[in-house]
Amino acid sequence: MGNTFRKGLIGLAVGVALCGVAQAQEKTVVSFARFFGACEADFGKTTDISKSAGECGIITAMTNKFNAENKDVEIKPQIIEWGPYYDQLGARIIAKDIPAIAVMHEAVLGDFVKRGLVEPLDEGFKSVGVDTADFTAHGKRGVTFDGKTYALPFDTHSWLWHINLNLLKKAGLTNADGTAMIPKTPEETYAFAKKFKAATGKPYFVWCVANETAAYTRTFLTLLYQQGGNPFPKSEREINLRTPEAKKAIEFMAKLYAEGDIVPNTDYGAANQAFMNGDGGIMVNGTWLIGDMVAQSEKPGAALEKGYQTVPFANLYSKPATWADGHSWIMLKGGTKDEKTKKAALRFLKFLSDNDFEWARTGHLPTSQKVIASPTFNALPFRNSIGAIAKSGISLSPTVPRQFRIQEMLGESLSSVVLSKKPIDETMKSAEERINKMLAGAK
Amino acid sequence: MTKIAGKQFGDRIVLACVTIFALVWITPLIWVFMLSFKPNDFLMAHTNILFSPPFTLKNYNDILGTSAVSGWIVNSLIVSIATTFLTLIVASLAGYGFARTEFRGKSILFILVLAGLAVPEQAIVIPLHRMFADLDLHNTYGGLILPRLAAPFSVYLMTQYFKAIPKDIEEAALLDSTPRWKIFLRVVLPLSIPAQATLGIFTFLNSWNDYLWPLISASKPEMYTLTLGLAATQTNFAQSEGLGYLMSQAVFAGLPIFILYLFFQKHIVTAVAGTTVR
Repeated sequence: MGNTFRKGLIGLAVGVALCGVAQAQEKTVVSFARFFGACEADFGKTTDISKSAGECGIITAMTNKFNAENKDVEIKPQIIEWGPYYDQLGARIIAKDIPAIAVMHEAVLGDFVKRGLVEPLDEGFKSVGVDTADFTAHGKRGVTFDGKTYALPFDTHSWLWHINLNLLKKAGLTNADGTAMIPKTPEETYAFAKKFKAATGKPYFVWCVANETAAYTRTFLTLLYQQGGNPFPKSEREINLRTPEAKKAIEFMAKLYAEGDIVPNTDYGAANQAFMNGDGGIMVNGTWLIGDMVAQSEKPGAALEKGYQTVPFANLYSKPATWADGHSWIMLKGGTKDEKTKKAALRFLKFLSDNDFEWARTGHLPTSQKVIASPTFNALPFRNSIGAIAKSGISLSPTVPRQFRIQEMLGESLSSVVLSKKPIDETMKSAEERINKMLAGAK
Repeated sequence: MTKIAGKQFGDRIVLACVTIFALVWITPLIWVFMLSFKPNDFLMAHTNILFSPPFTLKNYNDILGTSAVSGWIVNSLIVSIATTFLTLIVASLAGYGFARTEFRGKSILFILVLAGLAVPEQAIVIPLHRMFADLDLHNTYGGLILPRLAAPFSVYLMTQYFKAIPKDIEEAALLDSTPRWKIFLRVVLPLSIPAQATLGIFTFLNSWNDYLWPLISASKPEMYTLTLGLAATQTNFAQSEGLGYLMSQAVFAGLPIFILYLFFQKHIVTAVAGTTVR
């Protein structure tokens, strides 16, 4: 009797185990390469996206929710640090260990498309109901090559002025409604900066100026685009940094720093600290900081308490324009082993697209026109004032190769003009030569 | 008498200098340690308030709350221990061969090994990666361990050490017709323990701290080493928004090495001093 019972129990256990194995085998696994970090301790089990926060939290909750709602698919994140992300992705392609879905900056996408590594997604999007006509102008431009859509645009991130209203009020630089007075020309900016310093004894601006290249390039490109300038007037492989517009932009940056209107020697973290501690009036930084700054403005005793506002980088010349880039989701060729995996991956892309609003809570702008126009999005702090970037945001043409490398090289040269007071013409000539040499050799 | 007083004064100067250098060296470590107990949002605005509240254990909780961490520690241990063990075997055998045996092409082969010292890791990383891809060895322990066994410095170190051991000891054994491998195992190898300790400690530390090769060889999270895994959990602007977490990662990743140091302090100091003198 005991023996029969034991045998029955073993049989049952084996049966259950086999069922489990069968169930596990039925799941289609979709590898999902991304940065944004891991935050399992805080959001590892969160499936209600609205309860998550920050880039890491929201993307983790999205993945959890999709996995919970789609029992036949498992989205398996493969997370890597942002800095070396593209190096690793390149290495993975060579090793034929290709993820099904991968995150990609739109500034980098062109390099991968040109090398024939990315799947066009128009048919796939049609099959799962992603409406490419709903993409914003900036989002669409960043993922479209020769009329084909190569990625799902997920956000537009851009360059803002984060403003300490408490200090601006002290300097008499606020309007009657309590909002900040925004300069409309470079001359007005200099005048505001002088007025601000006279009243507060502090620099008007906080920029990350030390150990930094991206911030310089973003500010420079914004100022250039606002004058109608184009860094690549002749061809996508020949940069021109000595146009009158380029010179004006650099002179503006250098003059502000030379005259003590920018907090000196701050890197990215120190610039944030300086702004939060009220060491300067306006910080030039990205959309991704809105949440942190709003949190500071709600802290009793903080320098930004009840005194924070953000606007797109002020329009100082004739044309409304701001540097912008975007995160997008791509499917690399060879990343899905069969049709079933491809369909599962496309379903996940559709899910990400449907939840674009949730991602916009990070501070980034959505790439769906419907979301941008929605009351829920506009009810988020300051989104109604920065929503215009979805139209005015400008990136380098997607066909310009090696854009991150250009950003670094250009940023190094701008930094040496601003910080080390190197002559503009000579430094920009040298930067032009180095960048064009690099571009000539780029695939 | 004047000589003794002068020597004492000199010793004090040396002691004062060493103390100052030690303080300079340890200050950033204390800073890192203290910041690891601070909330991230607080650190966005203040990084110079070390010894007064607020304090938190959340950063460490976040690390321990990552389910893969224990796996990453095991991977790091397997890779570091195997690399150390195999490097010691390869370097000892090669070093002994170069120091004590004669064979055709020995000088050229030794020069080739020494030439390896002049080649930086970054210069060979692409061909190495392609080779391991062809062999389908990425995302395996073999893929993480094998490239580190080509260690010219280790061979050079052991060769020099074996050369310094008096030949008489071996010659006596050779006269007794003892086979060469027995002489190596029973006579020479025990005499080389100090060099083995030095090499073992440095190999373990290098392997534990390695980042570049695991980054491109281990793309599956279950094969990450601790350094790679912890870095992967960082948010995009961790230097500002996640500073406390970043610091707790530094402390956490350094902890096993610190414990190792506590146990093997004597050997490590001897090893480092020995390398310097040699």
